[in-house]
Formats: sequence, C-alpha cells, structure tokens
Amino acid sequence: MEHLIAGFANVLMPATLIWIVIGVSLGYMLGAMPGLGKATGVAVAIPLTFYLEPVAAIAMLIGIAKGSTAGSAVAAILLNTPGEPSSAPTALDGYPLARQGKAQKALKMGLFASVIGDFLSTLLLIALAAPLARYALLIGPVELCAILFFSLTFIGGLAGGSMIKGLIAGALGVFFATVGLELETFIPRMTFGTLELDDGISLVPMAIGMLAVAEMAVQAGKMRELDSAAATIVDGAHPNDRRVTRAEWLRCLPAIGRGTAIGSAVGILPGLGASVGSFLSYGVTRKLSKTLEAFGTGMIEGVAAAESADNAVVPSSFVPLFALGIPGSVIAAILIAALIMHGLTPGPRMFVEQPQMVANIYAAMLCASVIMLAIGLLGQKLFAQVIRVPLRRVIPVVLFLCCVGAYMDSGSIFSIYVMLFFAVLGYFSRKLGFSFVTFLIGFVIGPNLELTFRQSLQILNHDPMRLMGHPVAVVFLVLTVVVVVAIAFSNSRAAVREELAARAATSNPRKLEEENR
Amino acid sequence: MIDFPKRRIMTAALAATVAFAVGALAPGAGWAEDGYPTRPITMLIGYAAGGQTDLVGRGAARVLSQELGVPVNVVNRPGSGGLVATQALQRTQPDGYTILFQGHSVVNADPFLVAQADFVPDDFEYAGMITAFQLGLATQRDAPYDTLAEFVEWARENPGFVYGSLGPGARLYMEAIAEAEGLQANIIPLQGGGDMVNALLGRQVVLAYSGGLHYRYPDELKTIATTTTYRHPSAPDVETINEQGYPLGMDTRTTLILPRGTPRPILERLSNALAAAQTDEEFLRMTASADIPVMYLDLDQAAEEVHQSYETNLAIFAAAGIEPR
Repeated sequence: MEHLIAGFANVLMPATLIWIVIGVSLGYMLGAMPGLGKATGVAVAIPLTFYLEPVAAIAMLIGIAKGSTAGSAVAAILLNTPGEPSSAPTALDGYPLARQGKAQKALKMGLFASVIGDFLSTLLLIALAAPLARYALLIGPVELCAILFFSLTFIGGLAGGSMIKGLIAGALGVFFATVGLELETFIPRMTFGTLELDDGISLVPMAIGMLAVAEMAVQAGKMRELDSAAATIVDGAHPNDRRVTRAEWLRCLPAIGRGTAIGSAVGILPGLGASVGSFLSYGVTRKLSKTLEAFGTGMIEGVAAAESADNAVVPSSFVPLFALGIPGSVIAAILIAALIMHGLTPGPRMFVEQPQMVANIYAAMLCASVIMLAIGLLGQKLFAQVIRVPLRRVIPVVLFLCCVGAYMDSGSIFSIYVMLFFAVLGYFSRKLGFSFVTFLIGFVIGPNLELTFRQSLQILNHDPMRLMGHPVAVVFLVLTVVVVVAIAFSNSRAAVREELAARAATSNPRKLEEENR
Repeated sequence: MIDFPKRRIMTAALAATVAFAVGALAPGAGWAEDGYPTRPITMLIGYAAGGQTDLVGRGAARVLSQELGVPVNVVNRPGSGGLVATQALQRTQPDGYTILFQGHSVVNADPFLVAQADFVPDDFEYAGMITAFQLGLATQRDAPYDTLAEFVEWARENPGFVYGSLGPGARLYMEAIAEAEGLQANIIPLQGGGDMVNALLGRQVVLAYSGGLHYRYPDELKTIATTTTYRHPSAPDVETINEQGYPLGMDTRTTLILPRGTPRPILERLSNALAAAQTDEEFLRMTASADIPVMYLDLDQAAEEVHQSYETNLAIFAAAGIEPR
C-alpha cells in the first residue's frame, strides 16, 4: 500500500503524467477514427517507448490501450463503423440511438460504462493479480474449450432476423478462420500457396473491411436519404437526448456491473480476447432484459453492456502479465518488450524484486482511467459534430483511414486486399440480411475452439469419462445444452408470433431492416 | 530509472518532434571511407513487434546505427515464422541497404519443413550472428526427473503422458524419443511461448519444448535437456540432447542475413558494427533481463555455421522421415 502511495507520487509528476495524457489522447483519437485503433497506436508508439523511461513508456502504452478501447465506441455509435470487432455490439444499439438524435446520450453512456468497467477492473488487477493468475492457471484447455463452446450459443441471441441466416454467417466465420497453417503438422490449409495467408486471415484488416468499409458502401448507397435524415435530427434534439437521465442510469447500472464482471473474467483467461467479452456481455444483458425484441433498435443498456465489458478486458488481461509474465493480449506482449528493454523481467519475481516499479505502473493505470474520462468528454464534443457532416465528405476520409489501418497491420499491401475482399463479403451480407456479428463470433471463436478441442482430446487421452475430472468444463457443457434448448423453444414461439404479426400486415420495413443488420 | 532527468528531457523533446526517425538520435560516429553506408538502412524483422527476435533486433539496430552513423529503421514484416520477410529480402537489391534480422533456422530448418521455403545456404550472405536461442525441454521444478534418461524411465510407467509442442520441429523430438524407447506420448499443439509457459505452470503437460522463455521462472520450472548443440548459459549443468545420447541437437541464432551477391566490404562493415553489441551496455542489460545469451560470430564463422548446421539438420530430418510440406 505504501508502495502504491509512493507510486502516485512518482506518476503525478509532469514528466510522467504528460505521457499518460498523450497515450490516452492518441488512443482515444485513433480509436474514434474508423479503421484505426489499438494496432495502429501501438505501431506508432513502439519506437517512442524505447526512448522513454520505463514508467512513462508503459504508462503511455497502457494509455493507448485504454483510450483506443473507449474511443472505438465513438465510430461505432456515430457511423456504425466499429474500428475493432470488440466494439461491434456497441454499434448494434448505439447507431440506432444516434440516428434518433441521441448520439450524445449514447456517446456519454458508452464513455461512462467504459471508464467504470476500466476502473473497477484495474482495482481488481491491483488487489488480486497474483492469486487470480494462479487460479486462472487451473483453467486449462479442457475448461476453455467448454467455455468457448458455450460462447457459440450467443450466435442464437445475436442472429438478428433469421436464425438460419445467423447460423450460416457463423459457420462462414469459422470457415474463414480455418485458413492458414494447420495446428499440429503446420500443413497450409486453403492458402493457395500464398505465404501471407500461412498465419491465417488477420483479424484487423478482416474486421476493418467487414465492419467499416462495407458499412460505408451501404451508406453511400443511400446517401441522400441519410443526409436528409441527419439534417432533421440535429434540429429536433431535446436536452434529454444529450444526457443520460436518472432512469437510464438505473437501467444501465446492472448492465455495467455484469459487463465489468464478464469483461474482467474474460480478460484473465488466456485465449478469449476482448471480442468474446463484449459479445458475451451484450448477449447476457439482452437475454435478461424484459424487452428482448427492442435490442438492436436503440437500447441504451446495449451500449453500456458492450462498452463496460470491452474496457474491463484491458486491465484484467494484464493479470497474467504482471503475475506470471505471460502476455494476455497484443498490448501485453509489447509491454513485456518495453519492460525487458529497460532491464526488467516481467513475471512472478517482479513483485519481489521491483515492488515499487509495479506500484508505479498500477498508479499510472488508475490515473489513465481518470484522464480517459476527461479526454473522452472533451473529445466527444468534437466528434459528435461528425454526425452533421454530409456523408459525401465522411466516406472518403473513412475509406482512407481504413486503408492506413489495414496496411499498418502487417506493413504490406496484402492486408489491403484482405480488407477489400471482406468489404465485398460484408456488403452483400448486409444487403442479404446475414448477420456480420455472428460471422465475427464464428471467426474469433472458431480457431480457439479448434485449438483447445484438439488439446483437450490429447489431455483427456481420448477418453470421455476423464471429463469428470474437469467439473468447470462439465458445468459449461450442461449450460450450453440448456441454452440451446431454450433458444429452440423461444424461437418456435417467436415464429408463431411473427406469423400473427405478418397477418396483421402492417409491419414496419425500416424496423425489419434495422434488425437484419 | 529516475536518475536521468537530463536524458529524459532531451529524449522527450526529441521524441516528440522526430517520432519516426528513431535511428536519427544516434550521433554521426564513424562515416565509412568506402561510401557505405550513405543513407538509412532498413532492417526487416520477420515477427510482429514484441517478441524475442523483435526485441533483440531493435537492440541490434540501435548498436548498428551508432556504429555506422546512419539510421537503421526496423520494419516488421510478420508472417509464416519469418518466411514472408525472408522472401521479401530476396526481392531486394544486394546493396546492403536492406538487411534481415532473423534466426538462421529460416535457412537451416524451414526448408526441411515448408515446401515454399526452397532456400539453400548459398541463396544468402551472412554478416554475423549475435544472440543464441536457448531451446530445450522444460518441465516443472518438482518433476521426478532431471535428465532425459530419468524422464524415459518415468514415462514408461505413465503411458499417455502429455507433451507440449510448438510446431513440427518440436514434435520431432518427442516422436523420435518415443519411437526409440517405445513410449506412448500424447502431443498437444501449443501456440507460442506464452501458451507454453501457461501449460507448464498449470500442469497441463509434463514436458514441453521451450524457446527459452521458461528460464524466467527459475523457482517453478527447470530444463532436463537442451535441444541445441551447445549447453545453455542459463543452466550450464544441463546436458545437451546430443550428450544424452539422442543426436538431434539443432541450433538457431539471430543472424544478419543479406541478399546473395552483397559485396564483401559491406558484409565486413556490418559484421564489425554488430560486434560492438557484445560490449554495448544497454544491449547487454536488455539481453540479460530476457535470459538471451550473446554469442557473437563474425561473417566467416556465421557462413560456416549456416552451411554446417544445414548439413546436420538435413540428416536429422531425413532420418525422422519428415518431408517439406
């Protein structure tokens, strides 16, 4: 504790604080620009960090990680172009809110949820890093496999209009994730002799194409309509549309709490990642809501659930890094490099040998949370103006940023081709009502599921009875079955209801379209 | 780290203004008489930022830049374990302005595993090697075996034990030993060093192939055999796999690789500049904290090492019946 107080004293010096502010601002700005994000921020910052002091360098990287995660909500809400897949659930309800003239409300809720999730998760890291990391080690491939299997059931909840189309999109996601070297023998699968595909289709250019470029193409197609709608939105804004009301706070707090808990848990476990956190949180909040059908049409809880989980993942993914020296995310891997560059060895001995250094970093992380709130509120005022800019000006800028973001992922033009390929796929999936959200779930979960499944087979020695030695896995497998049965039941009920509605014959085409997104 | 206020202010100011011109921070020491180098050098690294090779490469780039007096800009070209960067290097001019910093396994092992890596040692020039990878077989500290012989004995009593592999090269070790000793092994694929340490600390595996990362956990993990032909500076008492009766040792060291046809004076210039890393304080501090031994070889020793290890590995892979795919 005295270390932490001393840590604040060290961090609250202008020379360190300025780098946190720079990191958070840079991250928030990059996150808010569609196509750019964490990956770009880190690429820009790496050379810099090697010339900074360790605390300043690490504080800046953490600032970028936190800032870009919060900032990515801005593009998701205002333009329906999440820069990173983990913000895709934010767009589901955030964009409809923005179209209803409640952009500022959604942005504020997203920021508050981000900061709360981030701050609580950071406290959790500080209080429990060492014991949590030890406990997380007990979660091996068998348990992870069951958890991932369970996560697949969220395809059911997020499929949108048609369950069949949702499943097809999910399966396509898994299919594209199989491209690359096979896990055990390293035989290339479906790479057609292209070395660039050996490591699989990279998530960043894929997501940029699928989420941002495709959305811009769709919006370009109905530019006039959207522009004229935007003109009327801005004029008719009620003060309550620009802030989060008390009643909404009360509705959102449970969602934020759940999101923080889910995000923190997902961050600690190896191999799950931020996207699983935000999808899971959004899915659970939707499932528990009394007005299930209203999700996807502008429910503020959806934004709160997705953003709190998305940001809670960031600090908790540092738990294995601080306690064990194992990188839980890309940013964590960079942090390890930064620590080593400065002669520090991350791992269990860091707490014993460098307690003050660890405390300094913790203090920097808490400062970054608070700074994020300030930068976010400031930045939003600026970014919210985007909604008034005519699309003909927005689209070229976004496309340019997308190309930069995709290129920086691997430093080669190949990434831009990947982006374009998935932009075409994303365009048609939107036009034909296939959910790109379930595609993403399949793409993100598929490879991890395959890896852990194959690991599990060997660990269990091909004997299903040995599963009994893994109670956590059994619980999740049972849960999976329960959820699938529940979805099947509710779907058959929904089908009956839909038929009745169709007979009433006054369905709103606009609403249907929103649902299909 | 708080006792460099002057340097901090200077770097902060510089960094803010010239964020991208990393190497430009170096003073203009020792311009070459023969003209090389007169402009910035690009250093390709075949992995994403943050890994061991990237770390050492950036450290080496800083030293090279100091010695050569021109910026050495690091460009990460990740993909297929360095093959993408290696092929990119082949397409560049042999003028010494594009160099690849990569473990030489890309030339002495990858061609036996990957059909597209159709390189032979003579396809490249080598300007020296700087660090060695401490490849070995790691296990938990409290495991009831300290050598391969003791492990084999234990494994006979425990058929169906789980071994963690990082790829086909790592599988080869367990497959060869299991076949020779009649063991029944379950081999699980692990993805990278972090995954490997996780599996060892979480007791998911009883033995795992490690790229050297496990040396950061001296209280919890130990090595029972190195899979290199040299013993590891981090554990000098542990015998090599060759010493323990299985002639399977294969080495990889970080190497400065250049396109074929690069003039010898350029290679000599780079080789001499790289030698300075052996005594560079900052470079040594970084490698020490990451348990990376510095084992410098100059350009002639490096070329010989590549050719000789290529022949050794050719025999090992042929004996194991592994074909490039």
